[in-house]
Amino acid sequence: MRLPRLFRTTPFRLTLLILILFASAASAFLAYIYVATAGEATRRTDQEITREMHSLVAAYDRAGVDAVNQSLIERAASERPFLYLLMTKGQKRISGSIEESPVEKFTGAPAWTSFSVTDQDAQGHTVKHPARGLQQQLRGGQILFVGADVGEDQAYVDRITRALQGAAALVVVLGLGIGVLVSRNVTRSMVGLTDVVDAVRNGDLGARAQVRGTRDEFDELAAGINEMLDRLERSMAGHRHAGDAIAHDLRSPLTRLRARLEVAYLDVEAGKGDPTQALAQALEDTDGVLKTFGAVLSIARLQAAGAAPDPVLFDPSELAANISELYEPLCEDKGIDFAAELSKDLQARGNREFLAQALANILDNAVKYTPSGGAIMLRVRRRSSGEIEFSVTDTGPGVPDGDRERVVQRFVRLENSRNEPGAGLGLSLVAAVAEAHGGRLELAEGPGKVGELGPGLRVALVLPRPT
Amino acid sequence: MRILIVEDDLEAAEAMERGLTEAGNVCTRAADGEEGLAAARDGEFDVMIVDRMMPKMNGVQLIETLRREGDQTPVLFLSALGEVGDRVAGLQAGGDDYLVKPYAFAELIARVEALARRRETGSVQTLLRVGELEMDLIGRTVHRQGKEIDLQPREFQLLEFMMRHAGQSVTRTMLLEKVWEYHFDPQTNVIDVHISRLRSKIDKGFDRPMLQTVRGAGYRLDA
Repeated sequence: MRLPRLFRTTPFRLTLLILILFASAASAFLAYIYVATAGEATRRTDQEITREMHSLVAAYDRAGVDAVNQSLIERAASERPFLYLLMTKGQKRISGSIEESPVEKFTGAPAWTSFSVTDQDAQGHTVKHPARGLQQQLRGGQILFVGADVGEDQAYVDRITRALQGAAALVVVLGLGIGVLVSRNVTRSMVGLTDVVDAVRNGDLGARAQVRGTRDEFDELAAGINEMLDRLERSMAGHRHAGDAIAHDLRSPLTRLRARLEVAYLDVEAGKGDPTQALAQALEDTDGVLKTFGAVLSIARLQAAGAAPDPVLFDPSELAANISELYEPLCEDKGIDFAAELSKDLQARGNREFLAQALANILDNAVKYTPSGGAIMLRVRRRSSGEIEFSVTDTGPGVPDGDRERVVQRFVRLENSRNEPGAGLGLSLVAAVAEAHGGRLELAEGPGKVGELGPGLRVALVLPRPT
Repeated sequence: MRILIVEDDLEAAEAMERGLTEAGNVCTRAADGEEGLAAARDGEFDVMIVDRMMPKMNGVQLIETLRREGDQTPVLFLSALGEVGDRVAGLQAGGDDYLVKPYAFAELIARVEALARRRETGSVQTLLRVGELEMDLIGRTVHRQGKEIDLQPREFQLLEFMMRHAGQSVTRTMLLEKVWEYHFDPQTNVIDVHISRLRSKIDKGFDRPMLQTVRGAGYRLDA
């Protein structure tokens, strides 16, 4: 049989253990109280009986049975009389306040006994009182019994015993109760987390633990789990999308490549046609596929690492100056007006090589889409927030507002640019580089429409303020 | 040239050997790191082409061992690992150049030739001379047929590299790596534009062009 979940939890087991320890300590404590109170009452009664016995024995020793009888008569009038019985050697009653001795088998040695006496209370009901007594043989052979009604003492002892039992019960019940409460509380927190883990195990990556805002360790754990799942989900989504995208973007060039080779093969087999051109084209296609593949790998590695490797402090304007030096002649050749506006004395932190590549990709795109007669402006500046911004503004056709989000995704190229060369990975890689630096990629409209030109595109790679 | 190829992919090694042999080299092959180490200790080579990931002893261990033993033969690493860190690790181990797989064969040949050539020019030169072209590395001046040619700093570096590798094919990737120190492939023909600018400066107005375009490979500066 399986225990209910509550009783299987670690907090409940711990509570039980603590309860057992606590109950043991409480028992010892209660036992001491019992000995110190109830035991004391019994001892006091026994002492009184012994003292009375001694005084009667002393009277007997002085003047025999008569002295004892005399003492008994005197004592009968006192407020709390003892119970007396004086007997012959053969245990026949001589005198006393009770009829017969409660001691059953008397051997001659002093003997203690507990018994009960019948009495009548104020209402005339017969009640039994507990009593204790001592019986011992006198020097002349007679037997003397002295007893005492311990009814009041016993009631006191009983009260204490009952109180102690109650206290013990209270300890156990309260302990269990607290245990259940603590367990329920802890378990409820844990159950939330366990449910999330179960859901994730069953494939629901969207499951999230509830953060209750108590800022305790469970909240911290829940927040940690959520963050971990966020990252996992993003990464999984990235991989899934990458899978689709790779299939999409590699399949078409591979299909083209295959077709080209097949046609060339058939032509050569039929003895017509020159395979050289087909082979050259096939090589070019292969290079295209490999480039796409390389870009996918770079993006995947950046995303998997989560952070740019080997970050250093550097001057972003110097990096931009080097890249613009590389691209300026290309722009000039294409009849594009290139300008760079680079703020001085800036510092950024990052991987120079990845950032240079990202900037090169942005410029590649700008050059590709800006027609002759257009302009490209590269700018590096510090935003008022302290972030470092690299921006490239062109006067190309731009990207419609609704599509801007999409072009950053892997492989996406807008339909009307499908026939342009390039794997369509440029901006995705830039976005991956930006994210790996804790920054972001922003797309906005360029300078607007002027005649044939525009409205243009403004691409900004924003790096966080260096720390 | 005598070339040692240490590569565990037999098909790739065979293709490499055939291509390099056709280009007029003598090749020796080793199929793993240990075999490569033995071959390198036994023979004299002008260049070693070493795959980074191999059974028994990987390329980095192999080159580290050889360098410790005082072997200074130029090494070209081949690797499927192309990230910055991988490349740096390869060069730190004692590699002289690093080529990421897959590569165009023209790229491989150009780099092997560049490595072998580098070894020949041991002493420090202050003046480079290729045919009619003269470059003064201290004065930062260039003359052709005694006529001074005015170059931008980057054009100067570009020409210096071409002159140091005169007569050899130099690929666009090599130029981007060695002159600009960028290790990525731009999607656009940025290098071509720089070369054509340089060409217009050193060849325009002269009877014979020196800066040649090599189809499928890159460029070559002929004397």
